[in-house]
Amino acid sequence: MSQKPTPEVAISAGYANRRRPRWVELATSADHKDIGRILIASSLGFLVIALLELLLMRLQLAIPENTFLTPVTFNRMLSNYGATAVFLFAIPLALGLFYYVAPLQVGARGTALPRLGQIGMALFVAGATALYAAFLFTPSEAGVNPLSPLTEVAFLANNGVDAWATATGLATLGFVLIAIDLLTTLRKMRAPGMAWRRVPVFAWAAAVGSWLVLFVGPVLLAALTMLMIDRNYDGIFFADGSGGAPLLWQHLSWIFFTGSYMLILIFAFGAIAEIFATFSGKPLFNRGVVMGSLAAIAVIGTLAWMQNMLTAPIGIGWMYFAMLMSLALIVPFGLIMFNLIATLVGGALRMRAPLLFAIAAISMISIGLAAEISHSMVAAAWHLKNTTDATAATHFALVGGAVFGGFAALYFWFPKMTGRTMGESLARISLWTMVVGILVAFVPLFLAGGEEGQVIDAYKFFSGEGVDAYNLIASIGTLILAIGIVMTVVNAVQSRVGGPVAGHDPWGGDTLEWLALSPPDPHNFDVLPDVRSPRPMRDIRQAIGQRSARDESPARESQPVA
Amino acid sequence: MAPHSPATDQIDTLLWVGFIAAAIAVIAINAALFYAVRKYRGQRGSEPRQVSGGRGIQFRVGAVLTVFAALIFVVGVIFTDKARETPSTGSEGLASAKEEPLAIKATGQQWLWRYDYPNGAFSYYKLVVPSDTAVELDLVTTDVVHTWNVPDLAGKRDAVPGKTTKILFSTDDEGSYTGRSATLSGQAYAAMGTEVEVVPAAEYEDYIEQLKADIEEAQARVVGQIESGDVP
Repeated sequence: MSQKPTPEVAISAGYANRRRPRWVELATSADHKDIGRILIASSLGFLVIALLELLLMRLQLAIPENTFLTPVTFNRMLSNYGATAVFLFAIPLALGLFYYVAPLQVGARGTALPRLGQIGMALFVAGATALYAAFLFTPSEAGVNPLSPLTEVAFLANNGVDAWATATGLATLGFVLIAIDLLTTLRKMRAPGMAWRRVPVFAWAAAVGSWLVLFVGPVLLAALTMLMIDRNYDGIFFADGSGGAPLLWQHLSWIFFTGSYMLILIFAFGAIAEIFATFSGKPLFNRGVVMGSLAAIAVIGTLAWMQNMLTAPIGIGWMYFAMLMSLALIVPFGLIMFNLIATLVGGALRMRAPLLFAIAAISMISIGLAAEISHSMVAAAWHLKNTTDATAATHFALVGGAVFGGFAALYFWFPKMTGRTMGESLARISLWTMVVGILVAFVPLFLAGGEEGQVIDAYKFFSGEGVDAYNLIASIGTLILAIGIVMTVVNAVQSRVGGPVAGHDPWGGDTLEWLALSPPDPHNFDVLPDVRSPRPMRDIRQAIGQRSARDESPARESQPVA
Repeated sequence: MAPHSPATDQIDTLLWVGFIAAAIAVIAINAALFYAVRKYRGQRGSEPRQVSGGRGIQFRVGAVLTVFAALIFVVGVIFTDKARETPSTGSEGLASAKEEPLAIKATGQQWLWRYDYPNGAFSYYKLVVPSDTAVELDLVTTDVVHTWNVPDLAGKRDAVPGKTTKILFSTDDEGSYTGRSATLSGQAYAAMGTEVEVVPAAEYEDYIEQLKADIEEAQARVVGQIESGDVP
C-alpha cells in the first residue's frame, strides 16, 4: 500500500491492528476462509498447468509416430499431469470449497481446530512445491498410478519416483488434516437448531467427503511409506521374490484413487444440488434420499476399487465382487440424478452462469458414469481396460465433476468469497467452448479405445491402426476445451477486483452462508438465527415479508432481501 | 474389434450390452434434463410450488434402477462365465491338445514378449499357434507389470511378478493377429507389441520342430566358434 490511511479510516476499515502486508496476513491466517481461498486459487493455477501438460501430450499424439516429445519427456508429462490434476487441482478445489463454505452453511463462527487446517494447507503447498521442484532434476516418469515394481529402484533409479511419492504424500497428509478439522467443525459447531436433517446438502457432502478422505488418505500414505522404504531402505513390500507383493500396491493405491473419484463426484453433486435448489426457487426434491445416496456412494464406490484390476491375477470371485459394487452404484447415482432433475421440474429457472455450468456438469457426468458400466462388466473390461475408452470415461466423469461442477460452485460462491460477481457473458462463452471441447476431445477417444483398442499412456501410436483421425480430432478438442477452461480462470481473476459488486445474498439462497457479509467478517456472523428448517434464509425472508405486510406496503414473497 | 474366437465373441456381446445400457442411461438423463430446462426456464416472477419430495415416485425410480443394475449384473456374469470357459480342441486341431489345452509360456520383459513352446523351442515377439486348438498362455514377467493384449483373439491380461496369469483361446480363423502391451512399462512401452499367427495344426508342428532345430544349430555354431577360438 503506497499511501498510509489516516487513523480514522484505518480504524473504521479494520486496519488498526494490521501491521503486516496483506499476503503475510493471508499466508499466516488460520481462518478457514483464508485457507479455503488459498486452496481454491492454487487449484485453479494448477488446473492451467495440468492443461499445459495435457496439451503437450495431445500435441505429441496428434499425428502417428510423432517425434515432438521423447518417450521420457512424455512419461514425465503423463506422471505430472496425473498428479497435478488429482492432487493439486481436483481434491484441493473440492476441499477448498468445502472448507470455505460448509462452516458458513452450518452457522459456525470458525472451525474447531483451525491450526490443523492451517498445517494442512501448508502441507499441500509443500507437496505442490515438491512435485514441481522435481523439474529442477528429474520428475517422475512412472505414470499416473505408478504400478509397482516399475517404481522400484531397479527400474527407475533416478529421484523422480521419490519426488512423486513425497509430493503426493505431503498433499494427502494435508488433505487428511483439513478433513479432520472440517469434520469436527461440522459435528460440533452447528448453529442452534441445525440438526443433521436440516444441514445444507453441500455441508453434508463436505462431511461425507471428509469421512472418505479420512479413510482413503491414510491408505495411500501407508502405501507411499512402504514405497519409500522399498526405494531407500532396501524394503521388500512391493518387491517380488523376497516375500513382497506387487499387487499390494495396486490394491492400496486403487482404494485411494477410487475414493478420490467418489469424493469429486460427491463434491460436484453437493454443489449442483444447492445450485439447482437456489436457481429453481424450490427445495431440493427428496433431500433425505439425496443425502443418503451421497453417503452410499462414498461407501459402495470405494468398495469397488478392484474394478480397476479386472485384468490382474485376482480371483474371479473378487472380480464379480468389484462388478457388483460398481453396478450397485447405478442406484444411488440414478436416484441423485433423478432428484436433481426433479428439483428443476416445476421451478422458475433463472438461467445464470452457476445453473448453466451445473446443468452441463450433470450432462457430462452422466456420459462418464454410463460409460463406466461397460468397464465394470468383467469380460468387457478384458477388452476395454487400459484403452483410451477408459481415458474418455474417466475424463467425462472427472472433468464433468471437478471442472464443470467445480466451476458451477465457483460461479455460485465467488460473490460470497470476494464480494463481486463473475462476468456473465464470458461465463457463457466459456461454458459453450468447454462443452464443445470436451465432446470433440473425448468422444473420438471412446471410439479409438472401444473400436480399435488403442492403448493408453503410450508416447506414440502407429499409422495403419485406424486411429489417426480420432487422435487428431481429440487433440483439436483438447485445445478447445483448454481455451474454454482458461476463459473461466481469466474471468475469476478479472472479476476479483473488477466484477460488479454483489450484496450478501446475490442469488436469493436458502442457506446460512448468504446471511454473512460478502466477503464474510473473520468471525463469519454477528448474529445467528435459530434454525427451524433446512431453509433458514427463506424463513428469515418470509418473516420480514410478513412483518412488512402488516406494517407497511406489501413486499413480494419471492423477492430476496438485500 | 473384430472377434475371431469364442471368448472374444462373448466379450463383443458384452460390449454391445454395455453400449446399449449406457445409451439408455445417457439418453434418459439428458432428455429429462433438456425437458426440465426447456419447459421451466424463464418462468420468473411466479413463486414455484414448494414440492419437497414424493415417496411413491422415489420407490418406483429406485426399483427401476435396481432392476436395471441387477439385469446388467446377471448378463455380465453369464457372458463372463462363457468367456472364461476352457475351449475344446476340435477335430482339425492339434492331436496332443485333445485332453489338456496346448500350454505355452509367455514371458513379458522390457519390452518384448518371449514364447516358450512345449518342445523347448522359443521365439520372441511372434507366437505361432495351431488353429481349432485350445491354447493356454501362461503369462509371467521377468521385470515389471506387462499386459498381454491381442483384442481380436483373446483380450488382455496382466503379467505380474510372482504370479502366473492364464489366458485361454482357440480359433478356426487362420491368419495373423496383433496387439500392443497395455500397461506403462517404461521408455519403450509404446513399441512393445506382439503378433499371433494361427496356422493349421500340421504346419504348427513343422514350425516348432524347425524352430527347435534352428535354435540348436545356432547354439552349436556359437559353441563351436568359441571352442575353435574364432571369437574371444
